[in-house]
Amino acid sequence: MKKYACLNINNGILLLGLFCVSGIAQANIVPDEIEFHGFLTQGFFHSSDNNIFGQSDDGITPGLTEIGLNGSYQPIDQLRFSAQGLYRRNGDVDRGSVSLDYGLADLTLLNYESSRVGIRAGRIKTPYGLYNETRDVSFTHPTILLPQGIYFDRSRSLLISSDGGSLYAEQRTRYGDFSLKFNVGVPSGNSNEIRSSILGSEAKGEFQAQPAFAAQLNYEINGGEYVFAVSYVDLELEYRSVAGETFLNGNAHVQPLVFSAQYNGEKFSLTGEYDYRWNNFSDFGAAFPDFKSITESWYVQGGYQILPQLQANVRYDVLYNDMNDRGGRRITELGVPNHIAYANDWMFGLRWDLATSWMLRAEYHRVHGTAWLPQADNPDRNSTVQDWDLYGLQLSFRF
Amino acid sequence: MDSLTLLQFVYIKLISFIRVGIIVSTMGCSSVNAAEIVVNSTVPSKQYTLADIRAVFMMRQRFWPNGEQIKVFTLSDSDLLHKDFVKNNLNMFPHQLRRIWDRMLFSGTGAIPVQLDSEQEMIDKIANTPYAIGYLNNRPDNEKIRLFEYQ
Repeated sequence: MKKYACLNINNGILLLGLFCVSGIAQANIVPDEIEFHGFLTQGFFHSSDNNIFGQSDDGITPGLTEIGLNGSYQPIDQLRFSAQGLYRRNGDVDRGSVSLDYGLADLTLLNYESSRVGIRAGRIKTPYGLYNETRDVSFTHPTILLPQGIYFDRSRSLLISSDGGSLYAEQRTRYGDFSLKFNVGVPSGNSNEIRSSILGSEAKGEFQAQPAFAAQLNYEINGGEYVFAVSYVDLELEYRSVAGETFLNGNAHVQPLVFSAQYNGEKFSLTGEYDYRWNNFSDFGAAFPDFKSITESWYVQGGYQILPQLQANVRYDVLYNDMNDRGGRRITELGVPNHIAYANDWMFGLRWDLATSWMLRAEYHRVHGTAWLPQADNPDRNSTVQDWDLYGLQLSFRF
Repeated sequence: MDSLTLLQFVYIKLISFIRVGIIVSTMGCSSVNAAEIVVNSTVPSKQYTLADIRAVFMMRQRFWPNGEQIKVFTLSDSDLLHKDFVKNNLNMFPHQLRRIWDRMLFSGTGAIPVQLDSEQEMIDKIANTPYAIGYLNNRPDNEKIRLFEYQ
């Protein structure tokens, strides 16, 4: 039995709607103050072992679909409203859902010749690393899969966006442009994947995200030829257990600190990010004793523009879930294989910009370890394989 | 006179070869086509700098000195005039601008320029939109459009 239809009726309707809006946006029917833009991505995956985005092992899964549509309206100079709706399907982690990706009012408080201060309120994207705010928009990052050590797809809902407020400041100097964001808000998504990645598949309760804090300082030289950023997020989750399960109402506290650097040359680009993440789990009871760990992840990625429309990318991505148990010796006591503790991923990819609004990408991953494999796609951890290959193909459209 | 050894001879020839190479290649680069940056005649005159004009097209400078909002117009990323403009007027690469615009557009944190389909449309828009800025291949022959001066 086929688990996924490549384009079912729902997708077809969404697709049709998107092209209609794209036509309307281009036909100048809407007034100048209102703007529409959107994107559509379909990815296909095959793996030698282990599953990602659905049943990729020994098959081809069309398990990644992303469709977004955003609009903005500026009634007066200092005030701007914008919102983006997102349809996303991600294997067995998310079998297809529509959500409000962001929806905010942006008020410029101070505006000087070379600086600006403002506030945003509503549902706001979380600034985290170089790619998080636009992670679901394939055109804005060079590869199909973002480096999974830092941009986990399985716990993505915690870092996607939050409901609250943001204070931002920008300052342009002769040495470059600085920008600062302070966000406070409740993460808008809760997912079973987070529960299973922390407590395992036995847990039946629910994690509730507490108001989180996110800050990012960004520094760009020469119009983004060099980009440097530091991001920090403070996330707290409270667990509400259900009657009859072994876990108590515990608390999970996660604090990632990410350093980012990027060079964007005419043909050559180089990107590196380092994530140091404090994890603190407490009060879950005897079934899950209190523990603290530090997760470490980093990657280096190089890109080269072979032809005006063709870019090649190489990346090496490293993740250790617990710096004090890099080899996973201790985690085997929980009855899972040791390779769940780490993942080293070599990626080779090609990006072909067919036209300004169409893009085709292909990539190959050689992965050592299973640390970022989604639990929902791989319910039995003991049947996962340490060394595996992953192939991806992706087609994207934007307007 | 025989003090010129073979090694020195080769060295001198090599240096002159490299020099010619550099001159030829810079000649190639100097046949650049800078675009003409143009504005609607309502835009206030001032001593603008390259940093100002970059900030305007990166959508980081949103207002003219008189407080009016800047209306930015561009052509498609693949348009030759756009490429010339970004490279030779802004001293940037089109993908740098695209990165900055996409980050704002798809995170809801800012507006991006209005993208037009042709140079003729650019002329129409600049002429008929107060506080507009854009670029053209040649000096405009239109009283509502003014060349944008900057240092």
